[in-house]
Order: sequence, then structure tokens, then C-alpha cells
Amino acid sequence: MTEALQMIVHPLPALLVFWPLACALAVYPLGRWNPGVRDWFMVFATMGALAGAAALIPLVTAEKRVGFDIPVLIGEISFMADPFGMLFALFTTFVWVCATLYSLDYLKHEKNHDRYHCVSLIALSGMLGVVLAADLITLYLFFEVLGLIAFLFVIHTQTDKAKSAAIKYLWMTVLGGLALVAGIFLTFGLGGDGSLLPITFDEGNETLRWVAFGFLLAGFGVKAGMLPLHTWLPDAHPVAPAPASALLSGVMIKAGAYGIFRTVTALFRPELIEDASEAIWAMAAQLALVVLWLGIATMVVGVILALGQHNAKRMLAYHSVSQMGFILVGIGTAGYLGAEGGMGLAGGVYHIINHALFKAALFLGIGAVAFRTGELDMYKLGGLWRKMPITFGFMLIAAAGITGVPLFNGFVSKCMIHHALVWAYEVEYSTALFVAEKIFLLVCGGTACSFIKLIGFTFLGKPKMEYGAEVTEAPPRMLAGLGLLAAAVIALGVYPQLLLKGVFAPGLEAFALSTKPLTYFLDKYFLSPADLITTAGIFVLGFVIFAAGVRFHLFHLHAPRWFGVNHWYIALAENFVKGCGLAQRAYEAYLRHVSWMLDELGAEYLQHWKRTSRRWRRFLITAATGAPGPRTQRFISSAYIDLEKECRSTVRYSVERTHEWLRICGDLNTVEGQDRVEAVRGIAVYMAQRLLNTRLAVLAEVVRTGKTEVARMRFPSVMEDVKVFRSTIAHTAMELAERRMAGEDVLAEISSAVNALLSEERFDLRLVQTPDAHGALPVLQQAAFRSQEALSGISGSGATTRWHAYGLGRVEHAARYLLDLTRIAIEAATQERTGWAMYEQVDLANVVATRKQIQRYVRDMSFNMAMILVFFLLFMSTILAGMAR
Amino acid sequence: MMSVLPLMAVLLPMVGAVAAVRLQRISSRVRAIGLGAICSVTAVLSLSLLPGVLRGTVYELHILQMTPEIWLYMRVDALGALFGATVACLWLLGLVYSDGYMKHGHRQGRYYAFFMLCLAWTMGVAYSGNLLTFLIFYELFSVLTYPLIVHEETPEAIAAGTKYIVYILLGGSLVLLGVVLTFFVAGAQTLSAVPLLDAGMDHSWLLLIFWCFLAGFGVKAALVPLHGWVPDAHPAAPAPFSAVLSGVMVAAGSFGIMRVVYQVFGVELLALLNVMPYMAAIAGFTVFFAAVLAVNQDNLKRRLAYSTISQMAYVTLGIALLTAEATSGAIIHITNHAFMKGALFLCAGLLITRAGIRNVSEMRGIAKRMPITMAAFALATLGMIGTPPLSGFVSKWYLGQGILQADQPLYLIVLLGGALLAAIYLLPIVYAAYFLEPPAVEQSGADTDDPDAAEAPLGMLIPTVIASGLTIVLGLTATLPGMPLSLAAKAVEQFFR
Repeated sequence: MTEALQMIVHPLPALLVFWPLACALAVYPLGRWNPGVRDWFMVFATMGALAGAAALIPLVTAEKRVGFDIPVLIGEISFMADPFGMLFALFTTFVWVCATLYSLDYLKHEKNHDRYHCVSLIALSGMLGVVLAADLITLYLFFEVLGLIAFLFVIHTQTDKAKSAAIKYLWMTVLGGLALVAGIFLTFGLGGDGSLLPITFDEGNETLRWVAFGFLLAGFGVKAGMLPLHTWLPDAHPVAPAPASALLSGVMIKAGAYGIFRTVTALFRPELIEDASEAIWAMAAQLALVVLWLGIATMVVGVILALGQHNAKRMLAYHSVSQMGFILVGIGTAGYLGAEGGMGLAGGVYHIINHALFKAALFLGIGAVAFRTGELDMYKLGGLWRKMPITFGFMLIAAAGITGVPLFNGFVSKCMIHHALVWAYEVEYSTALFVAEKIFLLVCGGTACSFIKLIGFTFLGKPKMEYGAEVTEAPPRMLAGLGLLAAAVIALGVYPQLLLKGVFAPGLEAFALSTKPLTYFLDKYFLSPADLITTAGIFVLGFVIFAAGVRFHLFHLHAPRWFGVNHWYIALAENFVKGCGLAQRAYEAYLRHVSWMLDELGAEYLQHWKRTSRRWRRFLITAATGAPGPRTQRFISSAYIDLEKECRSTVRYSVERTHEWLRICGDLNTVEGQDRVEAVRGIAVYMAQRLLNTRLAVLAEVVRTGKTEVARMRFPSVMEDVKVFRSTIAHTAMELAERRMAGEDVLAEISSAVNALLSEERFDLRLVQTPDAHGALPVLQQAAFRSQEALSGISGSGATTRWHAYGLGRVEHAARYLLDLTRIAIEAATQERTGWAMYEQVDLANVVATRKQIQRYVRDMSFNMAMILVFFLLFMSTILAGMAR
Repeated sequence: MMSVLPLMAVLLPMVGAVAAVRLQRISSRVRAIGLGAICSVTAVLSLSLLPGVLRGTVYELHILQMTPEIWLYMRVDALGALFGATVACLWLLGLVYSDGYMKHGHRQGRYYAFFMLCLAWTMGVAYSGNLLTFLIFYELFSVLTYPLIVHEETPEAIAAGTKYIVYILLGGSLVLLGVVLTFFVAGAQTLSAVPLLDAGMDHSWLLLIFWCFLAGFGVKAALVPLHGWVPDAHPAAPAPFSAVLSGVMVAAGSFGIMRVVYQVFGVELLALLNVMPYMAAIAGFTVFFAAVLAVNQDNLKRRLAYSTISQMAYVTLGIALLTAEATSGAIIHITNHAFMKGALFLCAGLLITRAGIRNVSEMRGIAKRMPITMAAFALATLGMIGTPPLSGFVSKWYLGQGILQADQPLYLIVLLGGALLAAIYLLPIVYAAYFLEPPAVEQSGADTDDPDAAEAPLGMLIPTVIASGLTIVLGLTATLPGMPLSLAAKAVEQFFR
């Protein structure tokens, strides 16, 4: 074992992987320059890859394992060719050459040739990278490259069907990739080192092992079309151009099969050379059984669905699913049988290659039919064998391959898998595996029926449509591609020894598996009478199903939509996105709720703050300037604040109205517009101030006449009522603004407007509701007279005159001055905030207003700073002057 | 080793900021050349520190003694050097891009001055050697970001700016509290390989300090309950600034958390305090929460902003796991994410300026008109999802290894679920741009006369393509010496001894 593990360093595997990638760079320039040259360059590039893969044969035969590391990404990506890797590389490049040859003519019906060829080469590189990868990281890297680039194959025709198939493909690939990377991570967690060698497990982490295995199986299974992850496959493969379908179905899904093959037979298998405990062996057998049963399910579902198809390519795609089931059964039995699993393993891998060959040939053949007739529905074709005899011949060979006619390649691999399954049954004679074996035979019968149907409806019988003159034999390059594949189908059917002895035997040795089953198969089973009889039985079964199906129209039965997993996947995906939307809306509603609560909280806080500050203010004033005035005085001072607020609101209202009007006119930001705003502001301030003074005087008079309580009661509602005069003022201001801007004197108009307003308002009447009370104007005059009288009374008293005489005047002056100053300071410090500038919402007008406020503030501040500076300089110069003296 | 290079890296952009307004008055061309030169020199300076740091040299410089104990002190270790280099390089890309993006914008002098100032402070954050210096630079750049966020002066921008400043000031005061408490408990505060705090101190104090720092830096790093400013600030800011905002500004919060976790507390102490499970849970929740919200956002920049929240939570998660591999992953994810997300935002900016597209729903078929932009977008998208061999894969790989090293395999769900959600919210954009038919009525509001070609001028396209291309370079060359991973390894070597 250790001897077999020795690896020879040789750059060929790496070169082989990067050769198509390098060629892909040249596709676009060449295509622009000369499409013909580009076409032949494509053949050259794929042929080069084939030659490279062929050159691996002697190397691998001599050295068993050939590898090369490139230090990029995390650590390095490393390539290794062992017999199996080499085999995969060989058939990959071979099918690629055929498909490329075929595509040159076929693509005449499609657009974007450069993109197709470029994608094809990158995908080839990805595929070779997968099969020649020496560790899981490299494998994952190329697996993702392959998966993502194949998206462009699926969507190539850009029809609606292709798009929806491609979307499904993309999401399942992305999910598969994530599952794969999760599985790879977990293998590291289980103690693996990232290489494709058996992991030496610690005891006791069964759950984690199952999870890791599940992820790996799901990740590879998506690509392989394993049930229940196959749903993208029957959509994606038919919509691609025929050569791309051949590559997708024939080769690319084998990347998944290859991955499962490595997982079951290498990663999760105990190291044979060591004394592995029974538990680990049992575990490996369990895992393999899972794969086996998944394979059985896959083959059954695939073949049943295939029988119900009209579209020939879709039918072939379902057969790809079904045939992948065969491969999984082979791999599963290999894992289950452990050291004796050589038969199943060889059968599974053999079937991978066989399927690549005949499925590619079938897709290419059907593609040729569609190329000539433009029709894919097999119920509408028929009798084409006369028109396209060579294509018919090749199709017949490929169908013989897939149905397992002796001396064609499918026969060999199916026999091997069947024998492996029988052996697996004979280990414990379990009923389940007995059933599995019978199902296997049934599925073989179904496959036979399906291809009898395909060949019969398409090529034989009477034509069901008129064929035009263009329906002739396919162009030679297409036939060449088909012919190469058909030749390989026969070659591998007649000489299975070629692979079994040449490649599988050394490959099994490298895996430390016994090679006895292979020789046993070749000696005892190959073309043995028993197998031939079974095969004949299968074909009889196929004809019976076909006859019954045609007779009873069984092929047109369809299960309801909800029966398929596809329906549920789509529902899940759509509901997930909807759920995300729901979460988003819920979150936004929550945010709105929170902000509403914060607003409420803020309002509440503001109210409390105002109340507290008012009390504090009263306390300060009391402390500084003596006991508070009587109730009446308090009423007047609080009313003063409200009136002052009303005054400011009036001015703001006018300005806002002007803004609105200017915005409608569209000259909000012009100099003229700003001037107008200023003019309106000036007029409004004047009018509002006069209104304020008058109202205050009225209030004082009302209080003086002993109607305080009534006024106090009515005051808030009156303040609500007089809000209507805001619009009058705004109206007047906006009317007069024009003339004021022009430099005219509009004081008379303003005054008359104010007077009209005052007489309309009758603030006193509103307050005390006595229609026969004094008018506003006499009250004002009276108030002014009284205040004057009071002032003169103070200054004119005899006592003060006497104090003046004694020189106390200056002290008294100073004291009064200080008292005034204190009062002003307290007033200023504790002034209620009437101009609360927190806007409810941010809109353009507010933003402009804020910007203007900021500008004004900055102007004032800079003036203040300048004044401070001047005073400071004066101060300094005084001191300096004093010092100098 | 004494070196003035770190100070130079801070002073040069400051000079640039002062010069920006003057140069702008002369002509835009002079300004572009002058600032470009300054920014390039800064980038070269920051890169020139890398080889020395890799050899194990620690560049340091005592600038100013504030009190007998407190110095303004710069110190460049591996973590800081990597962050500094990322910052300077991304800023250079943003600056070059700004020249095209802001061509017809208003107040260019102000924009460039603050753009350069922010670079200076962020470099200061990267190279600061003690908590106080860190705090000063951190606060300066947090606050001075404001004029750039409100630069457009639209109502949305001003509202977003207000929100930003409230969040950031609250976060900043918590960081300040943390610094003060640390000083109170531990005294001297050089951020070196030896943690400031040790297990002998009162645990309730230690817990208080930890949560202060986490909440403070969490605002900047956009951990979920504190993320509110991010989805508003990004769409409002000019695209080149969104790119750096998302790329390195948010990362500055994560960088702060790293400093706290590895150099203030130290790995052993935090393991002892047993707070990291909470931090990991918060980060895990953030990854999913933000990503779920991103799925249905129609505004492209807003969707990217949510993506940033989700992706930066990976970094926090990596820190919270307290393993060497996860730390490497977290450190390199900062750099990798910076360029990927930078590229995405620059693409979004190109879509806005060249095609007038702000919403995802308008992007159908845009790839025909802007092939290079959308190619860059697609590449960065794949990087975000973590497709090998792009840089996003490398960081996710190391995070995943760290998760296993920490023996908490359930966090793999976060790692891969986040990647899946990234695919869900980004891939449909790429798909729509390439494969859906463009809207039937051709938009006439586009800049160009020819509706078929809206590709941006080279001046804007080149930074975008470079940022996107770095996704490949950083991915393929991840293990070469001098690449983020080697620096991260150096840093990890210091933190996990």
C-alpha cells in the first residue's frame, strides 16, 4: 500500500488541466478575426487535450501515480493522475473532441459561437481539474468552476425555457457547492488532511461522520442527478444546444459521480492496511448501503419518468438520471462489499465511461435529427431511416449500448453491476437486496422499452410529418463526431479486457482491493449463457412494456404536480424569499414603532422639562428679586410668553407660505426670491409685534378691571381662535412685499392693515365677552398714561431728591443697575424656548431654512468673536499703556 | 525600531487635506495630480512597511508626551500594517474614482479635503500604539466622516448624517469609557504582544470594560442592534466614499475589537471570562439578520450596505472563536472584503452616474450597455459568495477551519448560510443584468447620447476593475509572503503564544 502511494512528480497532469484554459483565452480574438480558423483551433485544442490524456497512459502505467503541485490559493492546488483519474481524463477529452467536431456545423443554428466555444474549453478544464485533483480543495475549486461555467451552456439559447432551466440549475449548483464545502470542512473536522485518501477516524463521532457524508453526497449528488436532487437535470440538459447537452449529460454529471466514487471508496472507507475496528467497517458498509438504495431509487424514478416523455432530448435526460442510478448502485455495492468490492467498483466506473460514450452519441444523434427537421417530439417524427441512414445506424449502435445488447459496451458494465448486486445479496441473504436485484432487472427492461420507443417512433414506421428537401443526411463533421463515439461503444463492448486488465486492475491494486473479481468476470461471466438468457429476458420485457404502453396509452399518464419534489423545491425557494420580505417588513414596522415611541417619550420629556424649568425660573426670580407677584401678575407673565410665541409663529407662518409660493413659481433659490422672503419677514415681524403689544396692553387692562378669572379661563381658547389672523398677516405681508422691495414706504398701509385687524379682532371682547366694554385703543392710551404717571411719581418724590443731595444717588443707581442686570441675566438664562427648531420631518424647505439659520448663526458668532477680539486688544493695550507709564 | 514612516503616513494626507481646497481653486487638474501624488505616496509608504513587519520589526515612534504617563505613540505591528496598507490602497482607488465621479459635483474642495483628512485619521487608527492614540484618531475620523456622508446635502443625506452622528457619538463615548476604565485598572497602555489586563484584576471591572469596548466598537462594526446607521449612510454618501466607508470604515470597528480582544485582554483572559460565546452568538445573528434584510432591498446601495453588515459580522465571528485559524480568517477577511465590497460600490456608482440606475429592478439588461462594469460586478459577487479561487473563498476557508478548530461545527451553518444568502441577494442582480431583456422604453435621462453604450470613462473604470481584479489576485496568491495571509500569520503568532 505505501509503495503504491508513492507519487512521481511530473507536470503533465497540471499542464493537461491548464491547456484548455489557456486555449480559451484565444477563442474570442480568433473568433473576431476568422470564425473558420477558430473552429479548427477548437478541434486542435481538444485534440491537444486528448493527446495529453493519452500521454498520461504510459506514465501512469509505469508509475501508478503522477502528480504536480502549484503553489496558489490556500497552500497549493495539486494534481494527481492515478489509473482512475487517467481513465476519466481520457474519456472526457475523447467525448469533448467528438462533441466539438460535431458542434462546428451544428452551431450554425445558434448565436454567440465564441461564447459557446470559450465556455466549452473552460468547462473542459474544470472537468479535467476535477478528475485529476489530488486533494479535496483542488477538487472543489474545479468542481465549482465546472458548475458555474456550465450555467452558460444551459442558458446558451437564451429562450425563456432555457432561462428558467438555467436559473434552477444555478441555484441547485450553488446549494450543491455549499453542501460540498460544508462536507469538506467536516472531513477536516473528522481528522482528514484534505487528501483523497481514507480518513483515519477517531472513535465516537458517528453523528458528525454521517453529517459529513450526507453533505458530500448531497454536494456531488446534485451534479450527478441523484434522487431527490435531480430536478434541474431534465430541464437543463434538453434546452442546451445538442453538443452541449452531450457534454452536460455525457461528461459533466460524471464529475458528481466521480466525487461520490471517491467519497465512498476512498474517504469513508477504512484504511485496509491497518487493523480497522469492526465499528468503522460496519459504518462504511452502512454508508455504502445508503448510496446503493439512492441509486436504486434514482434508476427507478428516472426510467419511469423517461417513459412518459414526448420530447426526445428530455427523455434522454431522464435516462441520464436513471443511468446515474446504475452507477450509484455499482459504487454502493463496492463500498458494501469492502475488500471484495472490485466488481461493483469496476462495473460502476465502467458504466460511467460507457454512459459518457453512448449518451453523448444519443444526444448528438437526436441533435442531428433536430438539426435537419427542427422537431424534437418523437411522436411527430418517424421513418427517418430512409432520409438519414448513417445517423440511424449510429443511433442504433448507441441505443444498443444503453440497453445492454451483448457485444456493446453497456452489456459489460450492466452485467458487472448486476453480479456485484447478486454478490451483495449473498453476503447476508437479506430480502431487501433481493428486491433490489429484481428492481434492477425491471429497470433494465424499462430502459430497453424506452429505446425501442425512441428508435421506433423516430426512425422507423411511417413519417407523421412532411419532410422538406432540407431533411437529408447530417453534415460530415457531425457524422464524424457521432461515428467516433459509436466506434468506441462497440470497441468497449467487444474488448472489455482492454479496460478491465489495462486500467482497472492496477487501479484496484492502488486501492488495495482484490483484482480477482475482474479476472473471474472475464473468465466466467462475460458472454456466459446465463447472462445472455437474462439479457434476452430483459428485451422481451422491454417489448412487452412497449406493447402494453402503446396499447393502453400508458406513456401519456402524468402524475400531479405536487407529486414531484420539484414542485416543493420551487415552493420552498419562493416562500423563503417571501419570508425574507416578511421579515424585512416586520423589522421596518418594528422600527417605526420604536421611533413613534421615542417621539412620544421625547414629547413627554419636553413637557416635563418645560414645567420644571418654569418652576425653577420662578424660584430663581423669587430668590433674586423678592417674592413673586400676585396671581394676576403671574397670569400676565405666562400670557406674555404665549403671546410672544404666537408672534413668532405668525412670522414663521408667513415665511413658510412665501417659501411655498416661491417653490411653485420656481425661484426659491434665486437672489430675488430670498429678498422677497426677507421683505415678507420684515413686514410680518412689524405687524406681529404691534399685535403683541396691543394684546398685552388689553390683557393688562382686563386684569386691572378685576376680570382676571374670566380672562384666565378663556385665554387658551382665545389663543386658539386668534390663530386665524396669521393668514391675514401673511397675506398682507406677501402683498406688500413687492412694494417694500422696490424701496417704497409702506408703513401707512401696514398700519392701516394692523388697525383693521385689531378692530376686527376685539381681543378684549374675546377675553371677557362683554360687548359694551371699552375699545382697544382707549385702553391702550389709558395704560400708557398710567404707566407714565407711575414712573414720574417715583422719580419725583421728595425723599429721593434728598438722597441725591446726600450723595447716596450713586449707590442707589448702582444697586438698581445691578438688580436690573441680575434680572435680565436670569431672564436670559432661563428664558423659555419658544423657537424649538426640531422639525417633524426633513424636507427641502426645512433644509434650506436650517442652512440659512446656520449661516446667520455663523455670521453672528463671527461678529461676536470679532468684538471680543477688539475688546481684548483694547484691554491689552490699556494694560500695556499702564505699564509703560 | 524608531521610524518616522508611520507618522509620515498620517501627516501626508493631512497636508493633502489642507492643500485640497487651495489646489481646487487653481484647477481640478492640479488638485487631481497633487492629491493623487500624495495618496500614492501614502500607499507606497504603507506598503513599504510590510516587508519589515514580516521580518518581525516593529516600527514605533513617540510623538508627544501629554502627561508623564501618557504619550502620543505610534507602533506598527503586523495587524496594523495590514490594515494600514488596505486602507491606503482602497483610498487611492477611491480618490482616482472620485475624480471622475465628482466632476460635476458641488463643493469639491470640501469633499476632497475631508476625504484626505479621513485617510489621515484612519491611517492613524491603523498605526496607533496605545489606547489613547487609538481613541483620538478613532474619534476624529468618526466625527469627520460626517461632512462626507451629508455631502450631497439632500434631505436623505442630512437625515442619514444625523443618524450617523448620533450612533457614532454614543459608540465613541462607550469606547472612551472603556479606555478610561482600562487606564484605571491597568495603568500603562501600550498595545503590544503582552495584554494590558490580566486575570488577577477584578472580574466585574474586566467584564464592564469588555462590554463597553464591544458596544462602542460594535456601533462602527455594525453588530446588529447597533447597525442602524449603516443602511442609511451608504446610499446617501457619494459612491467612492461609500466604497471606503463600507470597505474600511466599518472594518475599523472590527479592527478596534481585534485590538481589544488580542492586545487589551488577551486570548487566555477572554477564555477565562467566558464572554466569547455571547459575542459569537451576536455575530452569528448579525450575519443572518442583515442578509435576510438584504434580500428584498430594491435600492442597490442599500442592499450592499446590508451585505456589509452581514459580511463584517464574519470578522467578529472569527474573532469570537478565539482560535488561530479563525483569527487569520478574520484578519484577511477585512482586506478581502474591503476590495470586493469596494468594487461593488464603485460599480453601483458607475450605474448611478452613467445610466441613472439606483435600483436593482432597473438593472435588467444593463450588461449590454456597460459590459466591463457588470463583469467587475459579477466577479466581486462571486467573491462575496466565496467561490474558489477568489479571495472570499480564502477567508471563508480559514474561518471554517477556525470554526472546526474551536470545535463548534454548528457555526458552519452561519458561515455557509451567510454565503448562500449572499448568493440569494447578489446573484439575481448579475442574472438580471446579463440575461433579462432591458425595459422597452429607453431611459432618456442617461448621461450619454448613445443609449447602447454607457460604459464609464477610463478614469472611473480602472479603479473599479482593479478593485475587482484584486479579488482574483488576493485569492490565487493568498499564501505568498507579503500577502494578507502571511501578515495575519505573523499577527496570530503574537496573539496566540
